[in-house]
Amino acid sequence: MNAKKYINPYLGGVLLGMVLLAANFVSGRGLGASGAIKSCIVSAATTVAPAAAENSGFITEYTEKHDGHPMKSWLVFQMLGVIVGGFVSGVIAGRLKWKVEHSPKITSKKRLVLALTGGILFGWGSQMGRGCTSGSALSGMAVLSLGGFVSMMAIFGTAFALAYFFRKNWI
Amino acid sequence: MGPLIVNEIITENTNLLFAFLIGIGFGFVLEQSGFSSSRKLAGVFYGYDAVVLKVFFTAAITGMLGLLFFSLFGWLDLSLVYINPTFLSSSILGGVIMGAGFIIGGYCPGTSFCGASIGKIDAFVFIAGLFIGVALFGWGFPLWEKLYLAKDLGDPKVSRLLGISDGLFALLLILVALVMFWAAELAEKKFPREEY
Amino acid sequence: MKPRIVLAAFIIPLGLIIAAIPQNTTVPYKLTAHQLLAESNLRSKYVSPEQVAHMLVSKDPTLQLIDVRSQDEYDKYHLEGAVNIPITDLLAEKYAYLINQEVKMNVFYSNGTVVANEAWMITRQLGYNNNYILEGGLNYWAETILNPIKPANTSPNEEFARYDFRKAAGTALGAAPAETLTAPENSQPATAIPIIVKPKKKKAAGGC
Repeated sequence: MNAKKYINPYLGGVLLGMVLLAANFVSGRGLGASGAIKSCIVSAATTVAPAAAENSGFITEYTEKHDGHPMKSWLVFQMLGVIVGGFVSGVIAGRLKWKVEHSPKITSKKRLVLALTGGILFGWGSQMGRGCTSGSALSGMAVLSLGGFVSMMAIFGTAFALAYFFRKNWI
Repeated sequence: MGPLIVNEIITENTNLLFAFLIGIGFGFVLEQSGFSSSRKLAGVFYGYDAVVLKVFFTAAITGMLGLLFFSLFGWLDLSLVYINPTFLSSSILGGVIMGAGFIIGGYCPGTSFCGASIGKIDAFVFIAGLFIGVALFGWGFPLWEKLYLAKDLGDPKVSRLLGISDGLFALLLILVALVMFWAAELAEKKFPREEY
Repeated sequence: MKPRIVLAAFIIPLGLIIAAIPQNTTVPYKLTAHQLLAESNLRSKYVSPEQVAHMLVSKDPTLQLIDVRSQDEYDKYHLEGAVNIPITDLLAEKYAYLINQEVKMNVFYSNGTVVANEAWMITRQLGYNNNYILEGGLNYWAETILNPIKPANTSPNEEFARYDFRKAAGTALGAAPAETLTAPENSQPATAIPIIVKPKKKKAAGGC
């Protein structure tokens, strides 16, 4: 399979900015990702253990702010779109392939363990920080929110600071 | 005029349809820019590939300029747009943890879904991790509830804190971003790597 | 040309423009001057004292009286259940939920109608619905409801019916009943506890 080259990052950025603008214009809000996962967790928790969910401040805080079923949320639909959009782009560019991407210096297994660890940390952090890179940092910056800039600097600053210790995994 | 949903130009369900369409655009652009590859994403931290920095800042600036111009033309009422609230302690702590997760796991939530959509198995595992992480946060919520709610600053705009207009702040950010882009391109030349 | 330079060529001028132009802080008006003029000439923006009295007596929960006079004047006398929003505070954030809602019928009143009219104009221009003015203000209220003038014997029956209603309403609302032997009812202490109606227009919810 001959994969096409990626588009120019600046063009990609302008297009992404327009998507962000569209989200703000239509729905008065920015993009996001981790919120969709929260919706899934909330709906799973309320289905599997409704009694425990009642007592969880985390879940009641969510259900107070949202009407209707937790899965019927803006972000859930948006994330479904992301999967479709990513897939379509992958088909067009010929990049569809099952693989574990990793540096030749580490094994696939190690890569997967690291991915899981990183995922757990990111999942926890996204809830603490009220949004991930897209929800808090990117969308927050576009509306000039202080929180957006703080998130952005904390995320990228930490990643830069720790980059040296994890260089074998990537280079 | 905008935001359409707040001004009740579209219904709740149409809004969800738009969410889906916007998501398609989001996923498509992310994938086209190469955000489905964790090694490409991580490149920004080693200087060999600054795609994250370029896309991220260009997108933020485009979005910001778009919002300011839309407001100027009276197409969008900025006071009705959601502005992310700022809780200083939790923003910083969450950001630090997310930064660690980023460099260890190689993805962020949005890009992991994007990577998974084209078959990256590490992205699927990362998503599984995200679910565990969010569930853990919910499960242990009472432990960090205080911290989560500490230092509530409302939803301040950076420009207002600095005492300058939104437009001037946007201009400054543009200049800063362009300097960063220039530095990033120098770094890319210094640490050349193949395309992933 | 390098893509970075192309990008810079676009965003720097745009940034300069947006930095040079003052921010658009105008409130988006929902009505043009012509529409507003047409509406303010309508009689339907007024509510008659009889109707207000009727709603008060029947304890109609959809009625929300808003006293736009100063706090002092409000403390001296106000209609039952009225909330005090001095005209100077009309646009204060804390009152927005009261004047911008779609459930209750807001009736502005002042001594005459001038101030109430101003309040109506402003809220109407902001696009708020359900705001009305008490016809004739408190002065007319006093004339009609509190001290109705007995119609001449030669008046038609409707005049008498209206007089009876006004007198009854006035009595119920705490006016000293003339021509009756019963002791005057104590006027109920006006409660200024408004029912909080969910604001219609909320910021879009968001967040990750």
